[in-house]
Amino acid sequence: MILPAHDADEAMGYREFKPDVAVLDLEYSVPPKHKEGARASIESLVRKIGGSGTAVFVRVDRETRWADVRAAMFRGINGILFPGPEEPAEVAELDDLITALERERGVDPGTTEIVLMLESANGYWDAASLAEASPRVSGVGVGRIDLTMRLGPVPEGEFRLYRFLMTRTLVVARMLDKQPLGAFWRPGSRGGVASRESTARAASEARLMGFTGCICATPEQVAPVNQGFTA
Amino acid sequence: MPRYIRRSSYPLAIEDPQLAEKAYGSWADAIILDFTRRADRDWQQDLKSRMPAAIHDAARGGAEVFVRINSGAAAAELESTIFSGITGIVLRGVPGAEDIQKASQCLDALEQDRGIVGGSLEIDVEIDTAAGVWRSLEIARASPRFGTFWANEQVLCKNLGMSSDPVLEFEPLEYIKSQLITVATSVGGQAQGMSYPLSLTQEDTGEDELRKAVRRARDTGFKGAVCPHASWIKACNEGFRPSPEETAHYVKVIEVFAEGLKRGMASVPMDGKMIDVPVDLRAKLYLEWARRAQARDEEKARAHGKPAA
Repeated sequence: MILPAHDADEAMGYREFKPDVAVLDLEYSVPPKHKEGARASIESLVRKIGGSGTAVFVRVDRETRWADVRAAMFRGINGILFPGPEEPAEVAELDDLITALERERGVDPGTTEIVLMLESANGYWDAASLAEASPRVSGVGVGRIDLTMRLGPVPEGEFRLYRFLMTRTLVVARMLDKQPLGAFWRPGSRGGVASRESTARAASEARLMGFTGCICATPEQVAPVNQGFTA
Repeated sequence: MPRYIRRSSYPLAIEDPQLAEKAYGSWADAIILDFTRRADRDWQQDLKSRMPAAIHDAARGGAEVFVRINSGAAAAELESTIFSGITGIVLRGVPGAEDIQKASQCLDALEQDRGIVGGSLEIDVEIDTAAGVWRSLEIARASPRFGTFWANEQVLCKNLGMSSDPVLEFEPLEYIKSQLITVATSVGGQAQGMSYPLSLTQEDTGEDELRKAVRRARDTGFKGAVCPHASWIKACNEGFRPSPEETAHYVKVIEVFAEGLKRGMASVPMDGKMIDVPVDLRAKLYLEWARRAQARDEEKARAHGKPAA
């Protein structure tokens, strides 16, 4: 479940929805003018949520990932969600930074995971190299918004390109024993505007395709996603 | 144009007491021999003593004979199963190119030792893991022995964590199958497969449904299928080739286009459509494919002591 890191009250509202993972966001749900504030407040959110027993990930902004990771690495964190990786070296570099920060901040060494959200043609084509670039990579997911912007398909009708990319993600994840993340969102009803029914369907179809979880853009999606990913 | 006329491949166990009758009566283009390692005896010696007769029995109806080998134990299994009369192996559980190279080296030695023409044994690959899918191009390029890909869809679904019940309204393995067809063809090989949902259900279904499924599979790019039931074989033999109607159509295409060329035309109307060079070329390819399929049927008919249908 994506939680805006700049709004502590809203972020702490995750408790009502009981997601498997609380994803503190430093990317799209944070307005640019609040980015600095979000980075400043994320430590306390990580410690609070991490201490409550819910897994905590932080979604960094690709363009500012170094500063974002520095802001996020505190005891209680479980992982970093890295959107739009392009090169294996970027993942390895993130691993090095996390390793240094684990040491510096008293986080158990090697415990911080990296989940890669693929969002570009390069990312999908080199998905295996990206996932093999760090032993911390625990999941590979199908990104969506940037993906459609970069690859340019009009997401209408059957949107077959998306199924191709889902297949590629699944194959890589299963080959490398990572968690495959993604849902089969239908055009016209996806992401933040998806109804409860279409969300459950997207998750259920993804489960039948081999995926085991996905990102929830809104709190209301958590229940249907959990339902859809449960056989 | 398929490299091989191998429309139907039928797996049979060498332990099956009716192996000879089933293989002969099946009219399959190829028989895939499976074996069980006997725990109560030296399985290698056991296999070595059985394989020559099993190969002979499987080939009696004119079928090519393959033996299915586990990639992880390929050296020992190849040593125990490769004898004269074998066309090749079907390697399963292949995670990458290295396994193909190792199997190929084993075959080099066995061909030399056992009087088989050097380099003649084919390696076909059963794709049943995510790694096999992802590395399919490396696998296909790993040896000139590579012949065909076959996606074992039920096993592959399990490996991918995917439902093997055809409950989705779309084909979940569509892109994987497209990849295997493209990759195999790119190295001069071909792919075997059935269309969805029969590819997953593997049902002993009615003839009409089966023929439609075969036609869809052929038009997707598959050149044959592995048949879980003997009842599939006739439909595969008749469906993974140009139909009599297509053959008649393309004969006419060639005649009409040749007439047009004589009159100095580059494109010629026929039955409301325009025929040009690519259409003429496709007609010639299809007729050659039909001729080779017919020749294969005649070969099998001779093995059965019967005239070709």
